[in-house]
Amino acid sequence: MSNWLPQSAAGKRWLGLAPSYFVIGIFMLVPMIIMAVFSFLEPNPYGGVKPVGSLAAYVKLFFEYDLEDNLVFNPGYINIIFRSFQLSFGATLLCLVFGFPVAYYITLQPENRRNFYIYLVTIPFWTNLLIRTFAWIIILGRGGVIETPLLAAGIIDDSLRMMYTDGAIAIGLTYSYLPLMVLPIYASLEKLDFRLLEAASDLYANRLEVMTKVVIPLCKPGIIAGCILVFIPCLGAFIAPNLLGGGKKLMLGSLVQFQFASARNWPFGAALSMLLLSAVVIMLIFYARAAKKRAAMEGD
Amino acid sequence: MTTAIDIRGVTKIYNPGSNQPVKALDNVSLTINDNEFFTLLGPSGCGKTTLLRLIAGFEQVSGGEIMLFGEEIENLEPSQRPVNTVFQHYALFPHMTVAANVAFGLERLRQPKTEIEATVERVLTLVKMKHLGDRPPSQLSGGQQQRVALARALAPSPKVLLLDEPLSALDLKLRQAMREELKQLQKETGITFVFVTHDQEEALAMSDRIAVMSDGEVQQIGGPTDIYEHPVNRFVADFIGDTNFLDGEIVDFNDDLVTCRIGSSSMFEAENSGGHKVGDQVTLFLRPEKISLSAPDAASGSATRPGKVANLVYLGNQAAYTVDMGDGVTLTAQARPREDGNLPFAIGDPLAVGFSSRALRVLPQ
Repeated sequence: MSNWLPQSAAGKRWLGLAPSYFVIGIFMLVPMIIMAVFSFLEPNPYGGVKPVGSLAAYVKLFFEYDLEDNLVFNPGYINIIFRSFQLSFGATLLCLVFGFPVAYYITLQPENRRNFYIYLVTIPFWTNLLIRTFAWIIILGRGGVIETPLLAAGIIDDSLRMMYTDGAIAIGLTYSYLPLMVLPIYASLEKLDFRLLEAASDLYANRLEVMTKVVIPLCKPGIIAGCILVFIPCLGAFIAPNLLGGGKKLMLGSLVQFQFASARNWPFGAALSMLLLSAVVIMLIFYARAAKKRAAMEGD
Repeated sequence: MTTAIDIRGVTKIYNPGSNQPVKALDNVSLTINDNEFFTLLGPSGCGKTTLLRLIAGFEQVSGGEIMLFGEEIENLEPSQRPVNTVFQHYALFPHMTVAANVAFGLERLRQPKTEIEATVERVLTLVKMKHLGDRPPSQLSGGQQQRVALARALAPSPKVLLLDEPLSALDLKLRQAMREELKQLQKETGITFVFVTHDQEEALAMSDRIAVMSDGEVQQIGGPTDIYEHPVNRFVADFIGDTNFLDGEIVDFNDDLVTCRIGSSSMFEAENSGGHKVGDQVTLFLRPEKISLSAPDAASGSATRPGKVANLVYLGNQAAYTVDMGDGVTLTAQARPREDGNLPFAIGDPLAVGFSSRALRVLPQ
């Protein structure tokens, strides 16, 4: 027995957990700290940061300097953030509306077929998101898959101008993250005791009431998890907003990407990321609380 | 007497048209009277639960019809049928309190709030669960969940209450206590109970009438004593209680009794149920509790036959004896332990075995 190994139970436990501490530390904690630190530094116009402390990045979120160097309120970035939340919320809602029936349908299939359907749901992940988003340009764009037949049939006589709109961004986001909604909802529906549905209909609940009073409340954890899993990447998304929104209408994710790439303002990008991060953390706390309350209720 | 449920030639085939159709019910006809405690009894897979699910509306009949108080219910959704079910595993809503579970059906019926509250309180009192109204089901014991399930199904005052093996998940003591309570509850509420069980003791203890089922068919319908004392076939006699079967041939008969040869030369007399003739191959049956065992020297006036204890199983309040009657005939009989707790006979002891020929019956073929 080599004596440099910890002998106590606590020491052995620590040793066993060390690899995960290491991974979490190197790949999550350290980058986060670097980002937080960068957000309080000054930008280097040639990229990177200057080691000079500054709150400029956070000030820039709300204010700008006018020609006389006075700080004036600038709603521009706030609007972008607000728009991002709006669009992400819309996309999340669309994902829920399309994702829930899909998950429910899969749950109703015979057991041996369910895994196959789940596999189908995940297939789009095998291809690059960029390529899949480009496909939407062909579908939605001028002279695209939707417009051409409608024009030919004389149903419309001008372009529908579907591209470069908030709608196009929402469709792109919905498409990109739909599987992230389907999977957690399926996971919770699969655990659902379907005898409860019979019990509800036996107690005079019509089909709608069976859904609203029994199925949805019982798979709420899956629905909330799915919404968070969709909402968070939507907030940070930049491919769909850039390609389908034409880059004119920025979202938070494209703004962050822009700061690090073209604008060379790393601290501002970091500050925006910190803002995004706080939003996510707040939502996760909300989720954890809801889950805890539910666990207390159901005693498990 | 009003007919609550009239089941007419109902057939149920699962997976029809597939390569493995399963016939769960085959041309079943029976009527259940209003205010009756009716039990569907049979081994698992006999179709009793299927029949219950057809009445509740969870399954559709493949043939025949089900009438509820004179009305055809085939096209009604479960939610439109004035019947409620107590499920085998209770199926309580885990996200609702006990009171909310009980109120669920009443709310769907759009009853006024004050009325719902009053009913919930009344039925929870009825099942002795009023003090636990605001608990979630997960914090209740199995017996308590059972009561909540019962209260939930009774709250909307259904015309018929369907009970799908509701006691099977409870331990023995609780099961026995619940039997009496269920019977009591049925009398108090006057609701027709249709009770599904595979436990013959449960069926005998609670039912007004019993339908014994096997392989998707009704074997016999009758009161508990009918079923126990006058089973119509070997399946019923075997499924209900313990019994001795003696296969033999009729050698003689008069108006009262038939005489059968069992084994090579043992003669047994049995009650003549009519329609037998010499040479018929028949099965006699004799319930163990109708056999008296005594020591050979202490034999009383009634005719006894000699036997020998081949085996015994101690059951506490009694012992089950396997008695070798010679000529390849064995009988199962019972004897109580003596007052000092010792068993009256040991393996190998000679016995005087007594039973009346009235207790021996010919099973209809």
